[in-house]
Amino acid sequence: MKKNKNIIVIILTVAISFFLPLFIKNLYWLGVLNGVLTYSILCLSLNLIFGFTGLLSFGHAAFYGIGAYTTAILLTRYHFPFFPSLILSGLIALFVGSLLGMSTSRVKGDYFCIVTLVFGEIFRLLMQSWISFSGGAMGIVGIPIPQIFSWRITSEKDFYYLGLILFWFTYITLRVLVKSKFGRAFIAIREDELAASTTGINTVKYKILAFSIGCFYAGLAGSYYAVYNSAITPSSFTLGESCLMVIMVVLGGMGNLEATVPGVIIMLIATEVFRPLYQYRLLLIGLIMVIVLIRYPYGISGIFNKISSMNKRRNYRKV
Amino acid sequence: MFIEALIIGLSLGAIYALIAIGYSMVYGILKLMNFAHGDVYTFGSFICWMLLTKYDLNPILSIIIAMIVGGVLASIVEILAYRPLRSPEYRNISMISALGVAYIVQNTSENFWGSQVHLFPSIISIPFVSIFGIKIPTTQFVTLGVTIIVISIFNLFLKYHKVGKAILCVSQDIPTSSLMGIPINKTISIVYLLGGILGVIGGILYASSYNALSLSMGFSGTIVAFNASVFGGIGSMNGALLGGLILGMIHSLVGIYISTTYVDAITFSVLILVLLVKPKGILGYYVEEKV
Repeated sequence: MKKNKNIIVIILTVAISFFLPLFIKNLYWLGVLNGVLTYSILCLSLNLIFGFTGLLSFGHAAFYGIGAYTTAILLTRYHFPFFPSLILSGLIALFVGSLLGMSTSRVKGDYFCIVTLVFGEIFRLLMQSWISFSGGAMGIVGIPIPQIFSWRITSEKDFYYLGLILFWFTYITLRVLVKSKFGRAFIAIREDELAASTTGINTVKYKILAFSIGCFYAGLAGSYYAVYNSAITPSSFTLGESCLMVIMVVLGGMGNLEATVPGVIIMLIATEVFRPLYQYRLLLIGLIMVIVLIRYPYGISGIFNKISSMNKRRNYRKV
Repeated sequence: MFIEALIIGLSLGAIYALIAIGYSMVYGILKLMNFAHGDVYTFGSFICWMLLTKYDLNPILSIIIAMIVGGVLASIVEILAYRPLRSPEYRNISMISALGVAYIVQNTSENFWGSQVHLFPSIISIPFVSIFGIKIPTTQFVTLGVTIIVISIFNLFLKYHKVGKAILCVSQDIPTSSLMGIPINKTISIVYLLGGILGVIGGILYASSYNALSLSMGFSGTIVAFNASVFGGIGSMNGALLGGLILGMIHSLVGIYISTTYVDAITFSVLILVLLVKPKGILGYYVEEKV
């Protein structure tokens, strides 16, 4: 019974998300929606790394950037078609992620967090100073319009659908992964690495696996971002961006895929709503973060859980 | 040239060490990465700048007021934003609330003083001293001297004063020290207070040795504090001192002999190399995990 209900909910959300552009005609809000999709992909994958496996990464923007630069360079210099470069962007991010994961497998906890932070900064500095490769601070401009088979992706709406496909691909594959044997291993590592290793989980292998899979999706998101913006600069892949992703994941709820999207939406909508109050925007966003987290340390998923446990209690009373 | 670079590196490293010690001390007790550290001490430095330039106050008095403001701000932040989340299961979450606090403090100081770079007046009137024919800015000497004095006083305080001993106890084991009758909340507030004060001293020294003060010092200061304490091993006081000095040396030597554009990239690469060889920092030691 519960399974059927879940399937109905998933089908409904898929349907709503596909018909959403029919109701939202405003290009500005469609643009915001595209941002929501990009960040949702990024935060879902960061949730795998941080929320499920417990590896706090402050370098997710670097993998996002690796994907973006791969696509930009392949499309502008080598005139690759879009679809193969999308896949390649993900794979290169996965490769770099696994290299970083392997070389830092001895580094644990907060030191891992520092290593990822430093990796992100090195990536940004490298892209800023290696002008012949990445265009330096000016970045790469004039990324051509992407085309998948005969579908030329030009308007905001087309980009919405491309992003939506990527988003559902990310969500469904991650959901399957998290519910599988691998997902249980990831959660075991998060809860207690020592205990997990004594039950026969190869913790090093699983940590590298989680990290590099997360990086793969970040690469996809970067590729999408590059073609959507048609220009990229290193300033889009800063430490601040990585921090924003971590904030979104925590606000949504660590270790909860469904609550990630509301977390993203709250942060992005807050950014848009507070735009007129530009001077005080950061202050208000900071206040929201602190107040929500003190009240609900598990983020939005904590609010959901509270409501559902209240419902359960009511049912018990009936019986 | 080399000796000058060495002395510049030493004084820069001393400032970094001051900033990193406050940060590392908080980490040692709560295992919390205090993202707001940089913004809090920048706020304090701005207070000092305002008192010096706008109100023409006595430098020593304004530095003391700035130290108090920075320290009190740090402990207010602790009480409001970190204390409700102080439990091992909320460790990562309190880090994010620290980020939120960093945004708030940064934005407040931006609204007060603007985001441009301000000219920080030099407190010392003699610009250079020459020793054996080498001209060295006086600020560098003063910086080194102040840092050595402050760190020694601080160490003596930790070793011999009742409150300092309490801080050391709390950093070893919170439940046990509370059983011994140490007021945990008060001690942790004092740690933040001291961390803020040390940070403000570092910030003022940094601003006066470059004659410039800007908001960007906050975030970059947090990163510097991270790096310095990680170099030495987070949570260790001597580690933070050593890490700060190494960081300062790298900054000045790379800046002079290679190029200033690559300073950050090279620092970060050295940091990663250090962590790959010694995953707990230079002075960090392995604690066997208890099961």
